[in-house]
Amino acid sequence: MNKRWLKLAAVPVALSFIAAACGSDSSSSSDSTSQNTTAAGEGGDFGGVTVTITGPERDDPSIAAINDTLNAWGETVNLKVEYTGDADWEANINTQVEGGNPPDISFFPQPGKLADFARAGYIVPVTDEVNTTLDEFWADGFQKYGNVDDVQYGVPAKTDLKSLVWYQPQAFADAGYEVPTTYDDFVALVDQMAADGGPKPLCVGIESGQATGWTFTDWVEDMVLRQAGADVYDQWVNHEIPFDDPQIVTAMQTVVDLWTPENVFAAGGSIAATNFADNGQPLVDGQCYMHRQANFFAGLFPEGTTFADPSDPTAVDVFYFPDINGDKPVLTAGIFASAFNDDPATMAVMNYIATADYAQTRQKNQTEAVGGGLSGYLSAAMNQDPAVYQPLEQSFLTILNASQIARFDGSDLMPADVGAGTFWSEGTSLVNGDTTAADAAAAIEASWPK
Amino acid sequence: MSATTTTLSGTGQPGPSSAGQSGGIVDRAYQFLRRIPTGVLWLIVVVWSIPTLGLFINSFRDRDAQRATGWWKVKPSELTIDNYDTIFSARAGLGRSLLNSAAIAIPATIIPIAIAAFAAYGFAWIPFRGRKGLFIATVALLAIPLQVALIPLLQMFVGGASVTLPLLDKTIVLIPDFDLAGTTTSVWLTHTGFAMPFAIFLLHNYISSLPKDLFEAARIDGADHFTIFWRLVLPLSIPVLAAFAIFQFLWTWNDYLIANTMIGANASQQPTTILIANLAGDFGRNEYILPAGAFVQAFVPLVVFFALQRYFVRGLLAGSVKG
Repeated sequence: MNKRWLKLAAVPVALSFIAAACGSDSSSSSDSTSQNTTAAGEGGDFGGVTVTITGPERDDPSIAAINDTLNAWGETVNLKVEYTGDADWEANINTQVEGGNPPDISFFPQPGKLADFARAGYIVPVTDEVNTTLDEFWADGFQKYGNVDDVQYGVPAKTDLKSLVWYQPQAFADAGYEVPTTYDDFVALVDQMAADGGPKPLCVGIESGQATGWTFTDWVEDMVLRQAGADVYDQWVNHEIPFDDPQIVTAMQTVVDLWTPENVFAAGGSIAATNFADNGQPLVDGQCYMHRQANFFAGLFPEGTTFADPSDPTAVDVFYFPDINGDKPVLTAGIFASAFNDDPATMAVMNYIATADYAQTRQKNQTEAVGGGLSGYLSAAMNQDPAVYQPLEQSFLTILNASQIARFDGSDLMPADVGAGTFWSEGTSLVNGDTTAADAAAAIEASWPK
Repeated sequence: MSATTTTLSGTGQPGPSSAGQSGGIVDRAYQFLRRIPTGVLWLIVVVWSIPTLGLFINSFRDRDAQRATGWWKVKPSELTIDNYDTIFSARAGLGRSLLNSAAIAIPATIIPIAIAAFAAYGFAWIPFRGRKGLFIATVALLAIPLQVALIPLLQMFVGGASVTLPLLDKTIVLIPDFDLAGTTTSVWLTHTGFAMPFAIFLLHNYISSLPKDLFEAARIDGADHFTIFWRLVLPLSIPVLAAFAIFQFLWTWNDYLIANTMIGANASQQPTTILIANLAGDFGRNEYILPAGAFVQAFVPLVVFFALQRYFVRGLLAGSVKG
């Protein structure tokens, strides 16, 4: 008994020693390299240091593409890059900063958070070199969301385009519908589809776990941009006008007026109970004609769906969510890289992320990593080779480039209590019919941090 | 119904037969009643297993099938092992993350047991001044939630800990900077620390209830404290050691919060829990592989549980036979 017990205990003890030895081995080597960052060499040789990056992008193909792209470039200047995707990025980046253990660079999906970090002094401004690169490859409209109090902190690393409507061209052709080019046409088309009694005009679902309601906020933002214009939009997200301004209430009302039971197919029974990701299946099944959602929604269609392929009758395509005043505004989102130290190696990586070469190499790598088809990546960097993008992705870029006004997703710019809080929850109540647009807007205004 | 009638009218019948019949009804009622707890247990087992069963079935269905219908509408033709394939071929490296999980869970299980067994023996059988107070202080630490200590601990792992004396202007290093941030070591150290109060409490309860005669007999035979602990207490405590090992292993293997805080951005040291959470993908678009991930994650704890359960049961039986 005694001996057997000893034998039993010996195995895990031995294993734990081995495991501990292995663990400390690899960590000490990686840590010692990152400590050497200050010893960066001159003339594009950084002596093999490692730059760590974290970010919320955690799809396998994204992680592969980011790492491969940065490391392929890193080889030419002798540095290594380690990108880690983090399912819980929002909370973890705070912990890491408070614990004194931040990465060298992090990818911020919310300019609001980037601004908070900049004002708290956690992140550092980019160097003049990076600024020059930014001016070469990025329009001011995209740069400015990485800019806090006239100092540039962020480098755009990814662009999402939200003002898109997904549809099946063949279904439109069969029913004799045409792609609307003005918002009035769009409303007329919705009414026509509803009157014809076939598939519903729209698929809508706003359920998204604890983020339920964000789809609604995107609709409202697109509507404010169209009805009230970009200036009002800026005042709205910066809280220069109250949230319950009549123009905002009107936009909210317009959205819910459009989402009537006659107009909407909700796979989960009601709009608030339908997961935002479950709107692809009914569209290809012919239960609705249109679905307004961002470019990344391509990844949420059923497997085997083809995109922008005229030879396939079931192919899915997009059109621009039409405007009202002819100024072609687009709602965008995106990711900004920001650095936690101004080490030469860190800034060299930041500089490379700002280039078109990074964007198109990542696009190429990511397309390979997903095995062809749509990569899920998009960048509005100028001077990219359009050939690296698939036809549908090229049409995203065409829409982006044709727009005169690009505005970042407002809920990501507002304080988190509103943009990731009451705007979602009050929006959901409004969609459920539990409150009115005016009351919802007033409640959101009341929750705005003073 | 007929049995009842017979019994009631059976007073005139010969004694043995009457006794047999009334014994029959009592027996039958007893048999029936005795089956109730078993039946209830089975019901609980079934109800409790349904979610796991659903998860298991869904782990073999592709994304579109999971999205389209519930698991109870599963069709044999749609079963696939693609989800498991995706997890095993993940670029982040499942094999490495399983090793990392083991490098966290094994030390975090063995070390608290080793320390707590000594401590529990000391608290139970070695008389010393302040024993009671020290024991109460140790057990009182159970009430401290580990969440409040996460960031201070992380700061300590990142830069060590030091105190500057105000007047002398002298800095004393309490804990040197071992550069543990982002390593599995920092995770199992944290687990070890926070497991200690409960481990000591549990083991103390068991060890202090061992019969006093055993210790007196051993001492008469000339055994010192270490011999008593090693030859007597440890073998007798195997049931409680196994019980605690199971709890602690499950908790550390399945832990996400501490590993997530301590390891942070270091991809090469991440355990399986973090790997699987990350596999869910941006906007949760790959959530369909989570059921398969759950079973990959659960496999090792199941093996540990069934392996240690043997000791658990044997220990209980040994006690009952001797008693």
